[in-house]
Amino acid sequence: MKQILEMKQIVKDYANCRALDHVDFSMKRGETVAIIGPSGSGKSTLLRCINCLNRITSGSITLNGETFVDTPDGKAAQYIPDKELRRICAQTGMVFQHFNLFPHMTCLKNICYAPIKVKKEDKAAAEQRGRELLELVGLASKADVYTAQLSGGQKQRIAIARGLAMNPEIMLFDEPTSALDPEITGEVLNVIKKLADEHITMVVVTHEMGFAREVADRVIFMDQGKIVEEGAPEQIFTSPESDRLKDFLSSMLK
Amino acid sequence: MSDFIANFQETLAYVGVLMPSLLTGAWYTVKLFVVTLVLSLPLGLPFALGGNSRFWIFRFVCKTYIWIFRGTPLILQLFFFYFFIPISMGIRFSAFTTAAITFVLNYAAYFAEIYRGGINSIDHGQYEAAHSLGLSKSQTMFGIILPQTMKCVLPPVSNEAIVLIKDTALVSVMGVAELMKASTSAVNRDVNPSAYLVAAVIYLIFTFLLTLLSNFLERRFSMYDARGEW
Ligand SMILES: Nc1ncnc2c1ncn2[C@@H]1O[C@H](COP(=O)(O)OP(=O)(O)O)[C@@H](O)[C@H]1O
Ligand SMILES: [Mg+2]
Repeated sequence: MKQILEMKQIVKDYANCRALDHVDFSMKRGETVAIIGPSGSGKSTLLRCINCLNRITSGSITLNGETFVDTPDGKAAQYIPDKELRRICAQTGMVFQHFNLFPHMTCLKNICYAPIKVKKEDKAAAEQRGRELLELVGLASKADVYTAQLSGGQKQRIAIARGLAMNPEIMLFDEPTSALDPEITGEVLNVIKKLADEHITMVVVTHEMGFAREVADRVIFMDQGKIVEEGAPEQIFTSPESDRLKDFLSSMLK
Repeated sequence: MSDFIANFQETLAYVGVLMPSLLTGAWYTVKLFVVTLVLSLPLGLPFALGGNSRFWIFRFVCKTYIWIFRGTPLILQLFFFYFFIPISMGIRFSAFTTAAITFVLNYAAYFAEIYRGGINSIDHGQYEAAHSLGLSKSQTMFGIILPQTMKCVLPPVSNEAIVLIKDTALVSVMGVAELMKASTSAVNRDVNPSAYLVAAVIYLIFTFLLTLLSNFLERRFSMYDARGEW
């Protein structure tokens, strides 16, 4: 099957550290990939490079057959022009740890705003779809409520609906439950599970090992800017090979 | 006691005589206030955005403008333009027009800094969310950032508006017959300070109305906040 995303030899340098060190990563349409690893290992950076929130130092990224950044001279990455880039980046939806909802809009408007402005969708059609998405995340009653009145779990579910409204090729989740109280992570994880069941292509960075094991088709373990180990959840969690993964898993159990 | 009442009646009668000229002055004050506010509020925005621009030349121009207009006395600017415009451009505007131009330029500089502070106070996550949804830079600025900025710039903007209504008194030095000038004329003519008291009351009414307006707007803009029970 054709790859929906192909990242080759990705290097991302910040001022004083290398966040991604020659990472190769690709995924198939409909796949759910979980990324695990210690804090500072480059998980967020990898997601943000897919979504063009960060620009890579070198390497190439191809999304749905379109290469938006490449390194022809082997030195500095070259991106396509901004306008084109924006169109391609809008094909990936991002869910942030801290939700980043728009506080001056109602929940429904949060969801419909980008489809109307970016995709020039008809307002009535966008709202219709927005209400369906609210239904999907179990918040149909919150359409006309401002986001400050929601709980953390509800906010994150609205953020998921907002991302889905753009019909992205890939949904990216960066620790979607890390800012939530433990007892309400379930409501968010259930929504993500539902999406996995519908074969929406997803990358989920998470510290919820049970969740990763349950929903992921493939688990990737990152450490110090590299993909150290990857495989089926069973293999990663029951027979880890590298010492670093073993250490990480035992530290997560504590 | 009867003396006092007689005195009071006399004063009232005198104030009645003063009123037409003071109200004419107050009308000038209101005109200058409204013209300044209506033009400087929007003019501040491009200077605020320019001050944050990626291009150093925009930043330089905007910051220099803001520095000059906030860094020199308003009264100096009034005199400067009063002489500068006729000499350099060969046009003589009325004192009122000259005052209005000066006030607009001066207040736009203050508003620009207020806007810039407001824009910079918005969480970076808002830009990231907008970007990830494919919004362009201008869609992000006008659809996401500025509407949120409105709320936090409202208190400092209404504060400036109250300063402005009092600053209009400065143009009396250019001979514009606004409220301050009208009351000074009356005081000098009649050797009676009552006109100043009346003027003070009129200024207080203006600032009171402004406070009401800004409270109303603040309530409007805070409708999307979570409100506590007390
Ligand atoms: N904006 C930034 N500037 C400089 N260094 C950064 C920045 N963002 C992340 N880093 C560094 O890059 C590395 C990877 O960070 P990150 O991708 O956030 O890791 P993770 O999400 O796995 O915790 C860390 O060492 C971090 O300190
Ligand atoms: Mg992270």
